[in-house]
Order: sequence, then C-alpha cells, then structure tokens
Amino acid sequence: MTAITFGVNSICGFGLQFQLDGFRVLYFGIATFMWACSMLFSTEYMAHYGNKLRYYLFSAVTYLATVGVFLSADLFTTFIFFEIMSMTSYVWVIQDERKESMRAGDTYLAIAVIGGLVMLMGIFMLYVLTGTTDLTKVGFDGSAVQFIAGVLMLFGFAAKAGGFPLHIWLPKAHPVAPAPASALLSGILTKAGVFGILLLSCYMFYGNDRWGTLILTIGTITMFAGALLALFSVDLKRTLACSSVSQIGFILTGIGVYDLLGVHNVLAGRGSLMHMVNHSMIKLLLFMAAGVVYMNLHELDLNRIRGFGRKKVLLKIQFLMGALGIGGIPLWNGYVSKTLIHESIVEYRELLEEGEASPLLYGTGMISLIEWIFIISGGITVAYMTKLFIALFVEQNTDAARQKAFDDKKKYMNPVSAVVLTLPAIFMPLAGMLPHVVADGIMDLGQDFLRIEEAEKIAYFSVTNLTGALYSILIGAFLYVFVVRKCLMKDGEYVNRWPKYLDLEDYFYRPLLLTILPAICTFFCRIADKAVDFLVPVLLSIGVFICRIADRFVDGIVVGLKRTVFREEKLPQERIEGSALTHWLGGWADRTIHALNETVWEYRPRKENAEHRMAMLHTRISENNAIIARSLSFALSLAGVGLILILLYMLI
Amino acid sequence: MSEQAFVLFHLTQKLPIMFCFDRMGLIFAAITALIWVLCGLYSFAYFKGDKKAKRYAIFYVITLIVILCLDFAGNLITFYLFYELMTLLSVPLVFHNETKEALMAALKYLFYSLCGAYMALFGLYFVYRNAETIRFTPGGVLAMSVTPENQTILLISVLSMILGFSVKAGMLPMHAWLTSAHPVAPAPASAFLSGIIVKGGVLGIIRTVFYIAGPDLIRDTFVQYILLTLSIATVFLGSMLAYREKQFKRRLAYSTVSQVSYILFGIFLLNPVSLTGSLLHVIFHAVIKSALFLCAGIVIHETGKEYVNDLPGIGKQMPGMLWCFAIVSMGLVGIPPLSGFISKWYLCVGSLEEGISVYSYLGPVMLLVSALLTAGYLLPIVIKGFIPGEGFDDSGAKRIHVSLWMMVPVLILAGLTIVLGIAPGMLTGVFKTLADTLM
Repeated sequence: MTAITFGVNSICGFGLQFQLDGFRVLYFGIATFMWACSMLFSTEYMAHYGNKLRYYLFSAVTYLATVGVFLSADLFTTFIFFEIMSMTSYVWVIQDERKESMRAGDTYLAIAVIGGLVMLMGIFMLYVLTGTTDLTKVGFDGSAVQFIAGVLMLFGFAAKAGGFPLHIWLPKAHPVAPAPASALLSGILTKAGVFGILLLSCYMFYGNDRWGTLILTIGTITMFAGALLALFSVDLKRTLACSSVSQIGFILTGIGVYDLLGVHNVLAGRGSLMHMVNHSMIKLLLFMAAGVVYMNLHELDLNRIRGFGRKKVLLKIQFLMGALGIGGIPLWNGYVSKTLIHESIVEYRELLEEGEASPLLYGTGMISLIEWIFIISGGITVAYMTKLFIALFVEQNTDAARQKAFDDKKKYMNPVSAVVLTLPAIFMPLAGMLPHVVADGIMDLGQDFLRIEEAEKIAYFSVTNLTGALYSILIGAFLYVFVVRKCLMKDGEYVNRWPKYLDLEDYFYRPLLLTILPAICTFFCRIADKAVDFLVPVLLSIGVFICRIADRFVDGIVVGLKRTVFREEKLPQERIEGSALTHWLGGWADRTIHALNETVWEYRPRKENAEHRMAMLHTRISENNAIIARSLSFALSLAGVGLILILLYMLI
Repeated sequence: MSEQAFVLFHLTQKLPIMFCFDRMGLIFAAITALIWVLCGLYSFAYFKGDKKAKRYAIFYVITLIVILCLDFAGNLITFYLFYELMTLLSVPLVFHNETKEALMAALKYLFYSLCGAYMALFGLYFVYRNAETIRFTPGGVLAMSVTPENQTILLISVLSMILGFSVKAGMLPMHAWLTSAHPVAPAPASAFLSGIIVKGGVLGIIRTVFYIAGPDLIRDTFVQYILLTLSIATVFLGSMLAYREKQFKRRLAYSTVSQVSYILFGIFLLNPVSLTGSLLHVIFHAVIKSALFLCAGIVIHETGKEYVNDLPGIGKQMPGMLWCFAIVSMGLVGIPPLSGFISKWYLCVGSLEEGISVYSYLGPVMLLVSALLTAGYLLPIVIKGFIPGEGFDDSGAKRIHVSLWMMVPVLILAGLTIVLGIAPGMLTGVFKTLADTLM
C-alpha cells in the first residue's frame, strides 16, 4: 500500500505531519473498532456511574489524540498527540474518584509526565543533531549522543507501553479504571508506546545490534516479570493488567530480535506486528468480560467472584476465546504470533551458530536462555489464564448462597454488550484457524512500515512449531497443578503470596521521588533562597560596626591621648598672685589693721588678709580687662573712640 | 517599519532623554498594554468597596505610563531613569493593604530594586566613559571600543549591569523580594508585578546584552558562564521551593522566579533560536502567570483561602475559574499544544544547538526537571480542586457566582494560552527575524 502524507502547516509552530500507510491505517482501524466496542459497552457498564459526560468527553478526545499518534508522520506530531493522550486518559483512571483511584491516577500521571519530558529531551537532541524529527529520514550515525537520544525517547515510549521498570502504573491503574477504559488503556494506549518504539527500531536504529540487544533485554525482563506478577495476583483485572505487561514484553522481545536480525527480519517483524494486533483484540475482549463481572458484582477479588460464570454459556465462550488466544494455543491467534517470534529467536541463534551474526552481548547460550524464558513465560501465561478461567467458570463459590445467587442471575448483560464482546471473540479463532488468510493478510498490510522486503510463507502447523507451543502448554499445566493449586491456595482460597516489599512503586519510586530527592534538593535550595535575606543583616551590622569605629575615631584619639600623653599634672608651685604694687599696698594695709586690731578693734578684730584681697582684685581686674579687651563691644567702643578722635581732629 | 526616535530634552549635551520605537520595545509594550487592561478590568470587581482603591488606581495608571516609557527608552540613561521611576511608583501597589507585612515587603522590594538599579548605574558610568554613545544600537556599542587593556573592566561593568537588572527579574541570589512582595500585594497587583514589572528587568538585560555590550563581547567569557550558572540554578531553585510551598500566592511567586529564569537562560545563551524562545516565553509567561495570579485572587477574594491545603473542592464552587486555572497550568508545564510548549521547544533546541560544553545539556535537563516540578505544584491543585476525594465535606461547597469583571480577563488569558500555542506562527516569525538581527 503506498503511503499518503499530508500536513497541517504552522500548527504549534512547526506544523503537524500525517501519513497514511498500511500499518497506520491498520491501527487507525483497530483503534476505531476498539473505541466503538468499548463505548457501546460503556452504555451499559457506566449506566450507574456519575460524571458520565466527563467520561465520554475525555474518551472522545483521547480517541482523537490516539488516532493522531498512530497517523503522525514525524516525532513532533507524535509527541503532541502523545501528551494530549496521556493527559486526557488520566480522567479514565480516576473516574470513580475513590482514594485508590486517586492514588493510581497520581502514579499514572507522574509516569506520563516524566515519560513525556524525558522523551521530549530525546526529541530535542535528535532534532538538533539531524535537523528533523521525521525518523524515516534519519539514519544512525553511530554516535553516542544519538544513541542516548534514542534511549531517552525509548524511556518515554516504554513508560506508556509498560516496559520494565516503568510498568508500575499498569497494575495500579487498571483495577480502578472502568472496564471499558481499561480495555482501551491496555489494548491501544500501550500500543501507542509500542508504536513509538517501532518507529525508533525500524527507522533510526534499523538493524542496529546495540539497540536490538537493549530492547531484547527490556523485553525479556518485562515478559517474565509481568507473567510472574500475573500468576501471583488474586484480582481479576490486576491479573489482566500484569498479563498486559507480560504481553508487551513478548512484543518488545520480537522487536529486539528484529533489530538483531538485520535484513533477515521477516519473522521477527511480522511476529511482533501480529502480536500487537492480537493483544489489542484479546485485551479488549478480556477486560470487557471482566467488566461484565464487575458490573454485576462490583467486586474483582477472585475468591469473591469465584463461580460467577458457571451457568453463563455466552460469557464462558467469549472468555475462553480470549484465554486460548493469549495462551498461545494452536488454532487460536496468539499461537500464530508467538510462533513467529519464537521462530525468529531460533533463527537468530542459528545465525550466531553459523557465524553470520556477531554476538554483542548475548552469545548462543544466552539466546537459548532467552528462548527458554520465552517458552516459560508462555507457560506462565497458560497457567494464570487457566487459573482465571477455572476460578470464574468452573469452580463453585465457597459460599453456597452466593453461588446460588450467581446461578440465578440470568440477565447479566444486555444484547448490545453481548454483541460487542462477541465481535472480538470471533477474531481469535478466525485468525488462528485461517492464519494464511487473516493473519497473513494483516501482516502483509503492515509489513511495509516495518521495512520488511521479503515475504516468507511459514508453515504454522509444522511439527517444530507445534512442539514449542506444546512445551509452553505443558509448563503451564505443570505450573497450574503444582504452583497455583498447591502454593498459591490455602484452604481452598486464593491467597496473594507476592511479597509486599517487592513493590517497586511503594518501596522505591515513591520514597525516592516524593521524599528523599525533594528533601535533599529543598535543603540546598532553602540555603540559596535565604542567603541574601541572611546576608543583608549580617552585612549591615558589619557595616554599622565599621562606621561606628570611623565615627568615634577622632573622639577616641582625643580620649586616648588625654588618658596617656596629656595627663593633667599639679603645678610645681603656687602661682604668684598680684603684683608688687598690690603686695606693697596690701602689706601696709595688713600692718595697719594689725596695729588697729591690737588697739582700737581689740574687741572686734578684722581679718588681716588685705594683701590677698588686693591680689584677687588685681586678678579680677586683669581678667576683666582681658575679656573686655577681647570682646566685640570693646572693639566697637574703641572704634567709637577712634571715630570721636577723628571727628575732633577734623573739627580742630 | 521604520524606527523613529525623538529626544525629549537633554540632561547634558551627551545625555539626552530620548525614545526610540523599535521592535523590541513594541513587543514589551504590547504585552504590557494587554495585561494592564485585563488586570485593570479585574480590579474593578476586586477593589469594590475598598476605600483605598483610588490611590491604587492613580499609581496603577502612572505605572503604565512609566513602563511604556521604559519599553521605548532609546538610550541607557533614559532607561535608567524610568527603571527607577517604575520601582518607586509601583511600591504603593505592593503596600496597598497597609498591614505591617505589606509595608515590610514593600520596603524589601524597594531596597532590592534600588540595590539592583545602583549596580546598573555603576556599569552605566563605565559604559558612558568607554563607549561612543549610550544609545541602544543592535549589535552593541561597547564591542567596538574594546581593547585588551579595558576588556576585563568592561566585562565586569557589563556583569554588574546585568546582575543589577536581574534583581528585578528575580534571578539568584537577589530574588527574595519576589516571594515577599507577591503574597501581600492585592491579586491584580501581583499579576501585573509578575507578568509585567518583572519583565522590565528582562528588558533591561536584553538591552544591556544585545544593544549595549553586544553578544560578541560576552560570548565565551566568564560573564556568560556566571550568568548561565545562576539562571540554571534559579530555574531549579524556584520550582523546587514552589513545590514545597504551601501558601498559594507565594507558590506562584516562586514559580515566577523559576519561569523568568527560563527567559534569562535563553538570553544568556546568545543564540538566535533560544532568544526567540525567550521572547516567546516573555509573552507566554506574562499571559499565564497573570492568569494564575488572577485565579488565586478570585479564590482569596471569594473564599479567603490562602493555603493550598484549603483548596480541595474549590472546583465544585467555581468550576469556570478552575478550568481556566487547569488550562494555564498545563500551559506553564508545557503540555502541547498549549503555549508553554512552544517556548520550551525553542529554548531547549537553541541551547543544544549552541553547544556550550556542559551548559547546553544541563540547561534543557533543568528546564524539563523544572517542568516536572511545575506539574507537581500546579496539577494537584487542579485535581484536588475538582475531585476532593472521599471524606470531603461538601456541605459548604455551594456554587459561588464570580463577577464577570473577574472572570472575563481570566477567560481571555486562558483562551490566549490555547490560541498562542496552536498558532504561534505570527509571533515566532517576528521574533525570529528580530533575534537574527541582534546576533
């Protein structure tokens, strides 16, 4: 199918670019089909919910944004719609506004925002390096910077896809979101992330070993960890959510091998593509089936809902189709895609053995290990789907009255819901039983996007391929009988044996991002923040201190000198008072007084201090004369005397 | 567009008070006029029944005139004159409530701003001595009179001027007045302060860097590195402290500290792309931050709630206000297609393009970390506001009718956030040409 491109220029500064090619049209179609199904199902499911307008409004916007992601032709456009999609889909998670929902919503939003920003950094770097965000025009030049840019973008896309270790939002968000929304979150929103990873893997890092190894590693861990989480879970929707993580891991494994294989990518590429489509359809069906259970019982705990589907034939068949599909049972669709991915792993191992491919990190032994992890994960898938199916549709509830109530409930979904559940259920066997028509048709449609040149007819039902599936089924049966029934059940009840301390979110991300990092950063920021506020008074007081010193400087010198050098000393002898005249006069006066005292004033003698008084008088007079001589009036009177003298002179 | 200049009068023969109507001034004047009108309309309802409203109105009008003169100032001395006037005349807007805190905050504002202005004045003397003219000339006037002997002293004086102007723009370490003045000022004044007056400092820096010093003088010198370091640190510091701040308006003030340093970072990179981003962010931040402060004002005016922890359920009372708040918040975080995204794009791409060793990566990383923190301190208000969660007593949550005088400006600003984000073509075109002529 030839690609059609069109753009809306100057929107958001750079213009939006869209493209229609086989893969994009395929996913546009799947998105539309899924939205149609889940919205029709919502009419019944959401009947008793509040805030319906909000739900439908945001669902519609999310639909447009998701389609925008799938049709986008450059990363700029992808990013814009990706962010809108992340934001609007938040409303799904918190739809019922309960405490757990809000918490799950916080996680979802945090992962979405962090993922988006990291991706944006990668896009910036790519844009600056290459001048474009159109990945089809970009080749990998081997530089570390470009690889880092790729890893950053991968972070953002993998956060949405649910790749390890960013899968934490899925097991939290799915159980609390309304079932039709869960179906879309799991079935198509995660695929938007995978779409981004495909863009990177099929264009920028086409056939790059390092990239392939990276994706393969993430894929393998995700595949196994997700499956393990699902096996331990005792909550219907949580199990399905963990299963989604695991299935995304299968897809990523396929994409990783696709890049490792280089030009021999036909099996890996087609397998990944088919598994994407399969997983979309299967999860749409399974989540809606879980929705039927929840809509009737308002519970998801396996022990409580046990036996609900015993006499509900339609629901049983629908669920079974999904379970068989996801379990990779031959004649159902999951088998086709898993076989292809499995074959591609084998193919890569053979290439390594023949020496046509050079091992980067994984040698033949490691690839064999990955193959086994793949088979075992498939086995765990079988085991947990069996667990769900038996719990829901085969076993009786431990509470007999409850079981009776279940069995009496004949009307458990309306015809519309029945139809929308049946539509995807038909797809599973159809694609699985006619793989050369349906599955190959889908893969042919999408493979141009994956840059697969050759087409290879594969015998899906050959002995080797069937053996692989058989191993998985046997492992699954073994796990179910010996692990699920023996270890994960106690007194006939399903128990959650997953250790609590392995919760990455509660014991790693939340403490780290919400407590430790902010506390450390805040400490330093507070210091910087208050630095000036603190410094101003300190500087002011230092300034005042210096100024005070300068202010008192001269005073201080004076005081200091007074205390040291200019000490006041007593005069060596008394000053001689008076003058010769006063002494002579005073002497005679005193003698006279003395004579008088002896004679006339015998009875009232006078003091004989005339000499002293004369001296004092002399001092006073001389002081007065000095003051007068210095005073202005004296000067003026002298001036006046002068004037009078001049006048007299002139007159005479 | 021809650039017209006219001289009002001469201080001395070499120091004319003159105005020049160039593009840069027009950009700042345009956004000033827009925000001034919207905050003014808002004030009608906000100050209803306030006896001191007349004083506020008088100083508000004078401030506009002074800022317009500042925007169109044609040389450094004119700019300095109106810069000081802007500070002095906007002080009454801050201490409007006449509480003790308000007076102290106003004094702090005055103290910091004057300190900054004197630092600028210090640089002005050297420019006056060394340059042919102090008229704003694209490409700078100092660059041609640089000799190896006077280079260091000129760089120091330019650094001093930039640091002086950056006090108004709230850059580390002299940003503390922002977080004191904003919480006590009345909401429309905070909005105007944060949206426009702070941008006066930004304009001062742009004039210094591109019209006086010239980008070539500063490029790859210690001045550029110091300024880049300070601006990046401020971006982080502001967001981090906003994230931890519990008082609504002070949180927004810290946010301003962070966001204005986005602009400064873009300027100090001396790259046309990042300068385009800075100019875009001048516009977008003015629009968004005014809207945020006006929303905070509505909350305080109608309910008296000043702390973020009191806000759950506010969306049930005033859904229209909170919707606008949500839109502009996401604009500030930079969620496409809202406007903050566009400026961030230009800033980060410019930074990576410029390739100044570690800064070109550190800058975008800090911008994105800051965006994450922005989401962390704004979105919870929105979410809790609409969905208070279980155990929320909604008996008191009656729908409050918000006056149209208050709602319309907020609606216009929220609308602009969307429109400018989806169709920034006209702005980016003009800014890009302008930025190219300056380099």
